[in-house]
Amino acid sequence: MVEVKVGLGTCGISAGGYTVYDELKIEKDKNNIDFELKETGCMGMCYREVLVEINDDNGKWLYAEVDKAKVKKIVEDHLISGNPVEEWLVKIGKSESEDPFFEKQKRIVLRNCGEIDPNSIDEYVGMEGYSAIQKVINDDSPEEVIKSITDSGLRGRGGGGFPTGLKWKFTREAPGDKKYIICNADEGDPGAFMDRSVLEGDPHSVIEGMMIAAYAIGAEYGYIYVRAEYPKAIERLRTALGQATEKGYIGKGIFGSKINFDIKIKEGAGAFVCGEETALIASIEGKRGIPRVRPPFPAVKGLWGKPTNINNVETLANIPWIINNGPEAFASMGTEKSKGTKVFALAGKIAKSGLAEVPMGMTINEVVFEIGGGIKGGGKFKAVQMGGPSGGCIPASMGDLKIDYDEITKTGAIMGSGGMVVLDETTCMVDLAKFFLTFTQNESCGKCTFCRIGTKRMLEILEKITLGKGEEKDLDLLEELSYKIKESSLCGLGQTAPNPVLTTLKYYREEYEAHIRDKKCPAHSCAALIEYKVIPDKCTGCTLCARNCPVDAIEGSVKEIHWIDPEKCIKCSLCFQACKFDAIEKI
Amino acid sequence: MKEVSITINGRSIKATDDKTILQVVDENNLDKIPTLCNDDRIEPYGSCFVCVVEVEGVNRLLPSCATKITDGMVVNTRSEKVMASRKTALELLLSNHYADCIGPCINNCPANVDAQGYIALIAKGKNEEALKLVKENNPLPLSIGRVCVRDCEVACRRDIIDETVGINYLKRYVADIDMGHMWTPEIKEEKKGRVAIVGGGPSGLSCAYYLRLEGYQVTIFDKLPELGGMLRYGIPEYRLPKKILDTEINWITGLGIDVKTGSEMGKDFTADSLIEEGFDAVYLAVGAQGASSMRLEHEDETEGVIKGIDFLRDLQLKDKAELKGVVGVVGGGNTAIDAARTAVRCGADKVMILYRRSEKEMPAHQAEIDAAREEGIEMKILTLPTKLLRDGNKLKGVECIEMELKEAEPGERPKPFPVEGSEFEIKLNYLIGAIGQSVDISFNRSDNEVDLERWGTIIVNDKTMETSRKKVFAGGDAVTGPFTAITSIAHGKRASAAIDKFLEYGVAKGAPEKFYSFKHKFNDVPEHELYHAANVQKEKMKELEPSYRAKCFDEVELGFNSEQAGNEVRRCLECGCSEYYDCELRKYSDEYGINIDDYLGEVRKYKVDYDHPFITLDPNKCINCGKCVRTCAEILEVAALGFINRGFQAVVKPAMEKHLMETNCISCGNCIDVCPTGAISEKYPFKVLGNLPKEDHESVCSFCSVGCRINYKVIDKDLFYVSNSTESIINSHNEGYLCSKGKFGHRYILSEERISEPLVRRNNVLTNVSWDEALDHSVKEVEKIIRKYGPESVAVFGSPKMSNEELYLLSKFARKGLKTNNIASFSNLVYGVEQDSLDDSFGITASTAILNDIEKSDVVVLVNSGLSSENLIVEQKIKAAKKKGTELILINSSEIKLTKFADLWIDSRKGTNTVLLNGLIRELLNTKKYPGNGDGIGSKDLESLKELVAEYNREKVTSMTGVSLDKYEKLLDMISDQEKKIIFIYNIDSRLEKSSNDLKAVGNIQSITGRVSSPGNGIIILRDYSNSMGVFDMGLSPQYLPGQIKHGEKGEIISLGKQWDMDLSGIFKPQDLSKKLAMGEIKAAFIFGENPFNETENFKLLTGIEFLVVNQMFIDQTSREANVILPASSSLEQDGSYTNSDTRIQMSKKIFEPENGMENWRLISGLASGFGSSGFDFDSSDDIFNEIKEVNRLYRDAEDNFCWNSRWEISGPGIAIYETNIDTIEQKKHSMLYSEEYFDSKIRNNLKRF
Repeated sequence: MVEVKVGLGTCGISAGGYTVYDELKIEKDKNNIDFELKETGCMGMCYREVLVEINDDNGKWLYAEVDKAKVKKIVEDHLISGNPVEEWLVKIGKSESEDPFFEKQKRIVLRNCGEIDPNSIDEYVGMEGYSAIQKVINDDSPEEVIKSITDSGLRGRGGGGFPTGLKWKFTREAPGDKKYIICNADEGDPGAFMDRSVLEGDPHSVIEGMMIAAYAIGAEYGYIYVRAEYPKAIERLRTALGQATEKGYIGKGIFGSKINFDIKIKEGAGAFVCGEETALIASIEGKRGIPRVRPPFPAVKGLWGKPTNINNVETLANIPWIINNGPEAFASMGTEKSKGTKVFALAGKIAKSGLAEVPMGMTINEVVFEIGGGIKGGGKFKAVQMGGPSGGCIPASMGDLKIDYDEITKTGAIMGSGGMVVLDETTCMVDLAKFFLTFTQNESCGKCTFCRIGTKRMLEILEKITLGKGEEKDLDLLEELSYKIKESSLCGLGQTAPNPVLTTLKYYREEYEAHIRDKKCPAHSCAALIEYKVIPDKCTGCTLCARNCPVDAIEGSVKEIHWIDPEKCIKCSLCFQACKFDAIEKI
Repeated sequence: MKEVSITINGRSIKATDDKTILQVVDENNLDKIPTLCNDDRIEPYGSCFVCVVEVEGVNRLLPSCATKITDGMVVNTRSEKVMASRKTALELLLSNHYADCIGPCINNCPANVDAQGYIALIAKGKNEEALKLVKENNPLPLSIGRVCVRDCEVACRRDIIDETVGINYLKRYVADIDMGHMWTPEIKEEKKGRVAIVGGGPSGLSCAYYLRLEGYQVTIFDKLPELGGMLRYGIPEYRLPKKILDTEINWITGLGIDVKTGSEMGKDFTADSLIEEGFDAVYLAVGAQGASSMRLEHEDETEGVIKGIDFLRDLQLKDKAELKGVVGVVGGGNTAIDAARTAVRCGADKVMILYRRSEKEMPAHQAEIDAAREEGIEMKILTLPTKLLRDGNKLKGVECIEMELKEAEPGERPKPFPVEGSEFEIKLNYLIGAIGQSVDISFNRSDNEVDLERWGTIIVNDKTMETSRKKVFAGGDAVTGPFTAITSIAHGKRASAAIDKFLEYGVAKGAPEKFYSFKHKFNDVPEHELYHAANVQKEKMKELEPSYRAKCFDEVELGFNSEQAGNEVRRCLECGCSEYYDCELRKYSDEYGINIDDYLGEVRKYKVDYDHPFITLDPNKCINCGKCVRTCAEILEVAALGFINRGFQAVVKPAMEKHLMETNCISCGNCIDVCPTGAISEKYPFKVLGNLPKEDHESVCSFCSVGCRINYKVIDKDLFYVSNSTESIINSHNEGYLCSKGKFGHRYILSEERISEPLVRRNNVLTNVSWDEALDHSVKEVEKIIRKYGPESVAVFGSPKMSNEELYLLSKFARKGLKTNNIASFSNLVYGVEQDSLDDSFGITASTAILNDIEKSDVVVLVNSGLSSENLIVEQKIKAAKKKGTELILINSSEIKLTKFADLWIDSRKGTNTVLLNGLIRELLNTKKYPGNGDGIGSKDLESLKELVAEYNREKVTSMTGVSLDKYEKLLDMISDQEKKIIFIYNIDSRLEKSSNDLKAVGNIQSITGRVSSPGNGIIILRDYSNSMGVFDMGLSPQYLPGQIKHGEKGEIISLGKQWDMDLSGIFKPQDLSKKLAMGEIKAAFIFGENPFNETENFKLLTGIEFLVVNQMFIDQTSREANVILPASSSLEQDGSYTNSDTRIQMSKKIFEPENGMENWRLISGLASGFGSSGFDFDSSDDIFNEIKEVNRLYRDAEDNFCWNSRWEISGPGIAIYETNIDTIEQKKHSMLYSEEYFDSKIRNNLKRF
């Protein structure tokens, strides 16, 4: 039967996915057409939502940017008359030519996202779902499972990159009557939404991954710590857990074994720091989410003082695939030390923003240009910011760098959880550093001196610089504070908070110096340092700029060259945006 | 846990791996690592990052407080990186510390005189101490108290609300009081070294004073005939009477300072010649006495044109000048005003001040300007003299030009500019130029003496006051140019310290830089931050009437009276931090030489919570160490405080913006002691003594029977508070923790109503008499009664808060001195405390376990005890034990605070606990789990016991007690396991719940289960007061002799009689003292420390009394009825030992001399001797203690912190047979002790506001 799937991840929903879905339903009933209308998760092409996929005898047809108005035509032309509406298609039936956005990807974690209905356990089962857990229960000892995962070379996708098999081994070996597995779904980096998409699109894969992990380490209880800001993910997780319980996949004596396993969802209140393992544990225990000293590591003393293993959503979603396809298959992808794939959330000044899963070892340029379609608006690629507030900038000049945990770390940035913000020439690097530092400063739990006050002082210096009040000594002070904060903070948040500053200082020091010495912002982004000027040659005297100026700072009569009074100008940029002749420049 | 080897700073150390780096460093004394957030009593936290160390192979720095050692670890605690990181951590913390370390008044005073400190002392009536404090930095308070420019007042924050505090007036107030006798510090041992001081002004005098106090030989040289410098020759008589100046100067030179007046440097000697003469150091304080020129043509040769400074000087050197006509004075400074007001007094018809700016810009003190105007002086502002108008050589007037002011840079005074064409003339007979002074450099005869600035001042190192010449120092106006007396004094003191170092070590060294936090470094303090300050009108100093004073040189300002001073000190806002001396943040800041300038930015600001009567929460000072939060939550399990907000805004406060009083705070004050800064501080019952040093004195809490170790921070006799943060206190049995009684209750000792002299009732009026008279009178009258009614008509009563020594003496005094067995403590007698409950079972009634056994037990059964208010620290110990797995059973009819922590709550009906316990005994005996049923228990006893409990089957017990069967069975289950260690805790004084034989039943349970006394097993008997146990141990009961010797223990009685050199058997007879009292058979009584008449009901007990002697610290209901009142000393005023509820004997040392001049033990000895009794001649409290050790069988091995039950052989296990009563005891109970009453009325009542 013909399948019609609507992408209803948060990205699809916010683009109007449900309206399209409802409209399809109305059309279906009205015309009495026989097709199966289905919800599915994020298909990755967030930049072209709403996405509707029609799966018929001729293959998969993917429509992009569908709205209520387009539904009728698609139904009539494609579903009734069998004539696909070519102009709206991004994927064309059986044709070999896929959109390069998909072509270069390798989907393991996202294997079911956008394919299956996340609300249907049967569909998941239909895609080999819950076969991996049965396999390990029937065939493998926990040690063998751990060995498989170790052999696969899987490393923690939350950002740390710690070998997952090793982590399991530690928890397995830690003495204790009770053990816990926690799924860390407290995704908090600005611009990152990989985990949300997986939870929304394929919740069972995470549950199955947790079950395998639980089996391997000897845990009977699991928690999914998910931020309350992900209501759709929570809803689908609850549905999935309900279904799994109903089927007897989780609970007592799973799959006929003597193994018990149960999962609870804990909604986090959206504190970034609760993504840190010990803070996350404190939060589940009902305490203030603040990190504590390690050791003891959670593997030895975690939740309620018991050995606890914490894995991130993406890591867990990889697990069933590895069990089903074998560790060698996974290890065959990637670089020497980074195996498998990595999901990236492409954002910023990139043409095609969305989710992309790529094999490790792909270069940054390939991701940016071939998958991401280059810079939006044709600007010049300046850098990528990777790893969110804990990460850093990698300049365009290093675009051939292979995606690999260790290679990226060498640049001063980190792989992180997969946020990749693409920057062009209009991004001020000082401002960017300030943006991320503002985030960490607000999200610091406030426990450690350096993180609480040190980052605040750094932020104040950055603010000073962007206001043109920076002094020469400020850069040294920034560096000094950065290193001290990194050296003397308890958790990853503080230890990495200065990274955005350090990498921008490393690669773009001259931009900082321009702010300080010349009182200029080379990217023309810092309002206090910009001057708007009319380019006489281009000005036609249309008066549009003057009419848009809220403070009457622009003088000039019709058909005469206008002039901006810098004393009055408040740098709101309205004239710049209004001018149709590019006759206003920022200097 | 295993032993590992680590290397710290190159030294190899072996330690177990459960230790942190910090612990190992501390234990081995390898370094002093600073830390702000660590507290060994709670789990490591690791937030301040001040304790970081470097560990080889780790690229980060690690918090040593939270990092456990591992084998092979190589640690460096002092690397450059470590030190730099610690410094930055402190700088960051202080960049967000909106607080004042010291008052801005102190900081702004050039000599840093502790104004807040002396104001606080004056507020306490300690005028002499206040003066001593002033003299630490200013030896001329009489003079400076009159003439100071008052930089302190310039900085005074009170200005924000209304007017500045009259700080200088207060200084003068105490100095004036002192004038009669002139308090003088001790001069240290004579030191080698002679110092020449050139110039006898304030700077020279100060330097001389402080050097002399250090023991040096000092000679002052001055070119003028008398010392005093500008104080004498620059300040007119009406401001500073020379008699007063003379008093002060003579007092200084009287310390043994040589004075050579009329001897001028540059003329009579040089620095070289002084050194050649044998002076080891020279201090140049030659001043700046040259007058500046007005730059008017013919200024120097015109008759009638006078230099202000010469004018004032000549007044002292010559006769009073006669000025007739109109006098103009040029200038706006203090010298100009002085000259103008002096001119008035010299007879001038009219005096005007010509000043080129406006009045607002005048540098003179506003009060002086006002006074001048009152005296009729005209202010001609915006006027600049430009030309002298002369009649030949004689002045006839001056041509002036009008000026206008133009804005200058912010922070600068506006600049005056002439208004073109505005010239005008003023007719004058005299023109006095008072526009400034300069250094007369003629002292510097040869160029190579000392280097000078271009304008003539001497160049010095401003830390040490050293000049370019070795051995030569300089200060005062000669260095600054004409400036203030207080700065000159500051220089004098600074130089004296440097000279002292120089003479001792050959190198002059300045004092190290100190870091002080100030609110005004961040911003101007807004008015709303001072919301808590009440409005108090500033006191105005009385002055002579202008019409009168203008005609003479009498001193104009008349000083404060005591009432004015009292009012004015109340106005002080106490800006400086109360924790100045205890603040660890401050301490480390000095140590690490911090500077926060680079990090000044946003600062968190919060409203200070002054709502709690004893605790101030100032989150502005909080450094987020979380010690209070963790102590409150983890130790006390109260959690009144928590972390609020995230990031930079994170801070410790009660939740939901509540005030502390609105939370579940139990006001124990332990948060104050753990706070490393002043964020949580105590509201003292006196003004905050900013930076006065405090001494630690360890003692025992005088409230309940837990006997917590306590530390008094003592500033002065009646200026102390409790602070339990010293190391030894933290290592004591209560781990430093206290309840609100311990923390705040001792304020009763500070009460101002103390009786300090004995009183005797004469003609029905209590009259002050001498000690001898009071004692004689008491003895005589009591002897009369003995003669009339016999010794059995006299009774002695002691309080359960008296020391063992006092109680022992009372016991001996009654039996030996008075020959009576009428001895007791009302606190026990009236309420019938069953001290003998365990006598039948164990031979003696006392705890069989110690408090530290609680954590070793598997089950704690708390019977009849409401611990939270009575014995909080025991409650805390139970909570701590619970964390280690101990189970808690509560047997209590009503809910108490501990109920929610209990594993099982048996809510038996009041008065039915004996039934419950009987039931338990029956079941335990029936289960046959305890076949031996206690080794050593006679089978006959067991049979009797079985018989006693036979009827108490489950049905009967549950129906009588109202406890559900389910709960009852659970209780049985929890205590039946033979393997478990079980402790019963029972409060013998508590009357709320008990039936009469509960404790006997408890004793039986522990006997039959073999849990009488072994680690983790036993009975802990709590009592209400600090020495409730000692009362019985010392025999303060007709039933007991010291050592709990009972009637019938003949051998013991005879033996004690021998030691006391008397026949005790005739005297130690069973008595029903209550009955005797009620029957009026007691005719004379000595009541020590108790107040039985607190309850009117008790009056009937003393109806027969014909003569009553009371020993008490305060007048109370009982002492009001007394014939003789003997003032008592407090526990802080005498040595003594106290025995707590687990028989722990703890020594307390005297901290102050008794206010009444007599320790209680002396007074009891005195009384006994008065009755002709021997055996009371003790030299000290220790002597008495030694006798107790000899005669008291329980105290044979007694020493500090020794629990006597550890050596005492329990004669059981045994069985007590009793009647099972189910009658409840009346609840009403008033304490008969002043301290308790004080706590209830002044402290607990204050806490009930919400």
